[in-house]
Amino acid sequence: MNFRKMLLLLAIGTTSATLATGVAAEEFRWAGQGDPSSMDPHAAAVGTNLSFLGNIYDGLMRRGRDMSLQPSLALSWAPVGSDGWRFNLRQGVTFHDGASFTADDVLFSFERATGEGSDVGTWFASIDHAEVVDDFTIDFITKQPNPLFPNEIANWMIMDRDWAEANGATSASKEEPNFSRFNTNGTGPFKLESRQADVRTVLVANDGWWDTAEHNVTRATYTPIGTDATRIAALLSGEVDFVNPIPLQDVARVNGAGGFSVIEGVETRVIMLGMEHQNDTLHDSNVTGVNPMKDVRVRQAVYHAIDIDSIIENVMRGQALPAGLLISPGANGFKDEFNTRLPYDPDRSRQLLADAGYPDGFSLLFRCPNDRYINDEAICQAITAMLAQVGIQANLQTITVSNYWPLLREDDFDMYLLGWSPGGSLDASHPMRFLMHTPDPEKRLGSWNFGKFSNATIDSLVPQIVSEVDAGRRQDMIDQVHGIMRDEVAYVPLHVQPLVWAKSDNVELTQRPDNFFNLYWVRVN
Amino acid sequence: MTDTNTRLLYRIYDSDIGYSFRKSRIAVAATIVTLIYFLAAIFAPLVAPTNPYDLASLNLSDAFTPPAWVEGGSSKFLIGADDQGRDLLSAIIFGARMSLLVGFASTFLAFVIGVSVGLVAGFRGGMVDAILMRIADIQLSFPAILVALLIDGVARSVMPSDMHDTIALWVLIFSIGISGWVNFARTVRGSCMVERGKEYVQAARVIGIKSTTIMVRHLLPNVMGPVLVIATIQLAVAILLEAALSFLGVGMPLTKPSLGTLINTGQNFLYSGEWWITIFPGVALAILVLAVNLVGDWMRDALNPKLR
Repeated sequence: MNFRKMLLLLAIGTTSATLATGVAAEEFRWAGQGDPSSMDPHAAAVGTNLSFLGNIYDGLMRRGRDMSLQPSLALSWAPVGSDGWRFNLRQGVTFHDGASFTADDVLFSFERATGEGSDVGTWFASIDHAEVVDDFTIDFITKQPNPLFPNEIANWMIMDRDWAEANGATSASKEEPNFSRFNTNGTGPFKLESRQADVRTVLVANDGWWDTAEHNVTRATYTPIGTDATRIAALLSGEVDFVNPIPLQDVARVNGAGGFSVIEGVETRVIMLGMEHQNDTLHDSNVTGVNPMKDVRVRQAVYHAIDIDSIIENVMRGQALPAGLLISPGANGFKDEFNTRLPYDPDRSRQLLADAGYPDGFSLLFRCPNDRYINDEAICQAITAMLAQVGIQANLQTITVSNYWPLLREDDFDMYLLGWSPGGSLDASHPMRFLMHTPDPEKRLGSWNFGKFSNATIDSLVPQIVSEVDAGRRQDMIDQVHGIMRDEVAYVPLHVQPLVWAKSDNVELTQRPDNFFNLYWVRVN
Repeated sequence: MTDTNTRLLYRIYDSDIGYSFRKSRIAVAATIVTLIYFLAAIFAPLVAPTNPYDLASLNLSDAFTPPAWVEGGSSKFLIGADDQGRDLLSAIIFGARMSLLVGFASTFLAFVIGVSVGLVAGFRGGMVDAILMRIADIQLSFPAILVALLIDGVARSVMPSDMHDTIALWVLIFSIGISGWVNFARTVRGSCMVERGKEYVQAARVIGIKSTTIMVRHLLPNVMGPVLVIATIQLAVAILLEAALSFLGVGMPLTKPSLGTLINTGQNFLYSGEWWITIFPGVALAILVLAVNLVGDWMRDALNPKLR
């Protein structure tokens, strides 16, 4: 916890005092672990942001309760020829400022999402260009066939061209503040009423939404609460109606409290360790002029040193699945036989380190967020202790997530913790494009591959997997990549994160397996 | 030599203060407890069953081991283990060491600043006095924890995030020290104004001794009594303030936990049945602060001429 969060606790006190006075029947209040870093839907391919902004912005498609792809701003879509997709758009949709939605806005959003400052360009890696056919039809022309394209852009949100141009927000920005970072103009079911970053964000229902509202929420307030104990206290004391996540050790307590229930599930998110593959030296180490992580034996040693069963039992309270791949069971392309982990074997780990020339181990800088994933800090501490047992002294630095991403982007780490959910597509190719392909801004690939892992075979297979139509051949290539990933220890997968939400019994809501929370499924009774 | 020492000890024993100490059971008990804490803190690496900072010795499968007398407990972990399998008793001993270190260092800082300001204000008087004491008044109108939080927050935003853990100790000492100097300054100033007019000070002035020398050599020894009392009380306050800051997450990092940090980590498990992770550091903190406070209380009474 840092100083800002401390202030936040104070703020929550005042917030709750205000809330207690004017609670209408359809007012919904919820709390999460962290705050979306931006209100710009193209600024960060991060679940926290995409999930939250999905209430304000619509995409061409959206995911249903069962993760199935459903029409949203696009009424239908179909391949045109072998190298493109045609989307027929919904008519009569207006943005929150009253402007009408047309194919030009889709084209603009495409240009914006693939332009400077966008973090979501990888979704469009296979797209050559987009063509507006008429006001309500648009074609996306691919470089090669891409059967999964509609799935891949399920989290892509549409912005209004005129609004963005009028407000100087034609490009997204990860760090620099611009208008779209604090203001929104979507077509979605909720409008942004007010926002104080890291304190609270208030949404009001959009009466002019194109879809019939399933929800009965008129006003929704989101408060980020970093401390687990405080968040759960906020739920139990009635300050909020819903919290995500709750500490695993408190599941029984919430269920037993009466009037509250825990919704548990398995998330599609895999927690993993990333490592520095390219730099010639480490940032903080007792070995200088050399990067031990470049040696596959060292990476294997890290893998063998981790007792995932113990982490799952003690830190995750038995509520996580061990992971051997970067995708979870249920994702397209998942195969059990590739999901086996290198076994926990500290002796083998020490031997590998000795073989690699580090019989006494070495030290490194280990970065970890402390408010992004469930028990992230505790996981990192446990890993630090396990690595210490084989001789790797990790200098663990934990930090709040909004300061964490910039450090990863600046390449300021030797090892780091990352969680990855295969976003819109739920396909094995998703982490391959983001995490395993050599970073290539031009091709919009490898944008979250901070450790710069690079393998020529994977680089050539990824575009083929994306465009392959034949399921069998596609799976073969996926298996090949998964084999290389494990042999090379591109990442050290840890576990599939559980979903533990808790809500008050007077609200109904839906837990989506990708940990997205949609206000338009909420009913307050 | 030994003879002189014995005689000195006897004189202390037989003095008024020695007598009042012997008569006060609470003072004796509090002093013993305080001494135990001090010794445990100083010799922590020898006293503690394990070294909680040695990550290689931790075993995650020991996590949440309850205290030895509870079912499922182990004699290896007398009062249980925390969420990382760390022996809680060792963590508390090392945590108390950290708390006492911050307490002493910040009290010393407050002492140095406060006594200097008080001496100058009391001896010089006039404009200097007015300005210094108004500054003290302004600071006194802010709660100490707010001042400490402010300094801590500024220091953290100025320093790169990497350095937060390394500088945390210094930031804590500085912020608690700065927020505690006022009491010293006011007391010293008060005593100083009384002493200033006395003959020995005037005599020193007449023979041309420099002001600084008068302050340090002649005034200071005569105002030390109340200052010692304040220092003892301030030590307890500083330990508590440090614990509060660490509890709020702006104090000592998890890698070098103080008692406050331990309580903060433990509170996550308070409701899920693993009460020992937060209760024992809490009890340890309460006893330490109580003992130091009782010693301070006794000292205040013993050194107060009006109560004799």
